[in-house]
Amino acid sequence: MTNSEAAKTQPIVRLEDIYKAFGVTEVLKGVSLSLMPQEVVVLVGPSGTGKSTLLRCVNLLSRPDKGRIWLEELEITAPGVNEDKVRQRVGMVFQEFNLFTHLTALENVMIGMTKVLKMDKRAAHAKALEELERVGLANRADHYPAQLSGGQKQRVAIARALGMDPHVMLFDEPTSALDPELTGEVLAVMQKLAFEGMTMMVVSHEMGFAREVADRVVFMEGGYIVEAGPPEQMFDHPQVDRTRVSQ
Amino acid sequence: MNDFLMFLQDVIPSLLKGTVITLEIAGVSLLLGVVVGLPVGLGRVYGPTWLKRVLGIYTTFFQGTPLLIQLFFVYYGLPAAGITFDRFTAAFLTLGLNSGAYQAEYLRGALQSVSEGQMTAARAIGMSKWQAIRAIILPQALRLVLPAWSNEAISMLKYTAVVYLIAVPDLMGQAKILSSKYFAPIQIYLIVAVFYLVLVGITYFVLRAVEKRAGIPGLTYSPEHGGA
Repeated sequence: MTNSEAAKTQPIVRLEDIYKAFGVTEVLKGVSLSLMPQEVVVLVGPSGTGKSTLLRCVNLLSRPDKGRIWLEELEITAPGVNEDKVRQRVGMVFQEFNLFTHLTALENVMIGMTKVLKMDKRAAHAKALEELERVGLANRADHYPAQLSGGQKQRVAIARALGMDPHVMLFDEPTSALDPELTGEVLAVMQKLAFEGMTMMVVSHEMGFAREVADRVVFMEGGYIVEAGPPEQMFDHPQVDRTRVSQ
Repeated sequence: MNDFLMFLQDVIPSLLKGTVITLEIAGVSLLLGVVVGLPVGLGRVYGPTWLKRVLGIYTTFFQGTPLLIQLFFVYYGLPAAGITFDRFTAAFLTLGLNSGAYQAEYLRGALQSVSEGQMTAARAIGMSKWQAIRAIILPQALRLVLPAWSNEAISMLKYTAVVYLIAVPDLMGQAKILSSKYFAPIQIYLIVAVFYLVLVGITYFVLRAVEKRAGIPGLTYSPEHGGA
């Protein structure tokens, strides 16, 4: 195998036997999962089964109690790893958007470029506009978050994450806080990203999105992965009873 | 009426001199209060536990005891320990440290009212904790603290009046001197009250204008209620 082939087959994210407890509540009980380049994995399952916690482990917003995580060649759970550097390579989109309230849409996308990546203002401005264009919101660049609809806020949040040129994007229930008529515009942006080849890990209850966009659907319950496979198998021929019932 | 105008003509130059000193003491003390209050407020929210405790003792002491006792302690008490200040330094120090304690508490409230998601999102794009505080949390908290800070500035203008008790010739000190000189305490104190009222009024309008300029929809006012 040549080096370039090795690079292609190396997972972007590799989680190995992850455990996590909050107090006495065990949330993750030994979860292993890999994401290959350009793969879209959708995590589904009942609420409170550790999907979001697993996602937050990937950028170390949550630290696993046990188990190891690799981001490409780097073991990020190893002692002495700079969390901030890890997070620069991992984009994250939150259920509650969490746009910076005091900054316009454009400034929200720019601030990571100028403060974290130390890009100069003009280059950051141009790139931020491109990212807003990518999510269809260049015409809202000067609006403050409070002046945007929920769907627009989430699209700006996606642009903010993309601005850092992440190697993988994490989506934590990105449409759960949205009115039903606004989920479409966010899912469309995510679908476009997937087609462009972005590696994505998505926690979502949007089964239509999972079926259409996911390369792999992972069903979680009670802190374990119950079943995983391509969407056709998961939705049409589930191997495990519990997966079938949940539909 | 003519008599009163003559009287005004006599007292106003002294009162203006006093006003300059009152403004100087209020200004320096507020500034010192910012210099002290900003790090103390940040330390109270983001510092390690031992630091939070130490800073808590400082704020409790200055908020929990009368300003006059603090002033007398600094001016008359500390010399016994070999630390001597002139009147003005004692005034700046006492009022500054007192204001610092209040400003720290206002800032603490404002910092804590910025939602946790803001910090999470900042950390998620790779900011360090201090980068996030500087670039994301503080700019919001400072805007949120402005109304309380305006009250502090207005209170400070009036608190400065205690310094006449250590013989600083501020507006109140001049009033005291003039009222003995003319045997007209009621008139003098009424005129001085008007002076304070004008100072407070100007301060109020200036700070309201600053608040409006710094305002951001969704942060300091609801976007439905139109622009600033």
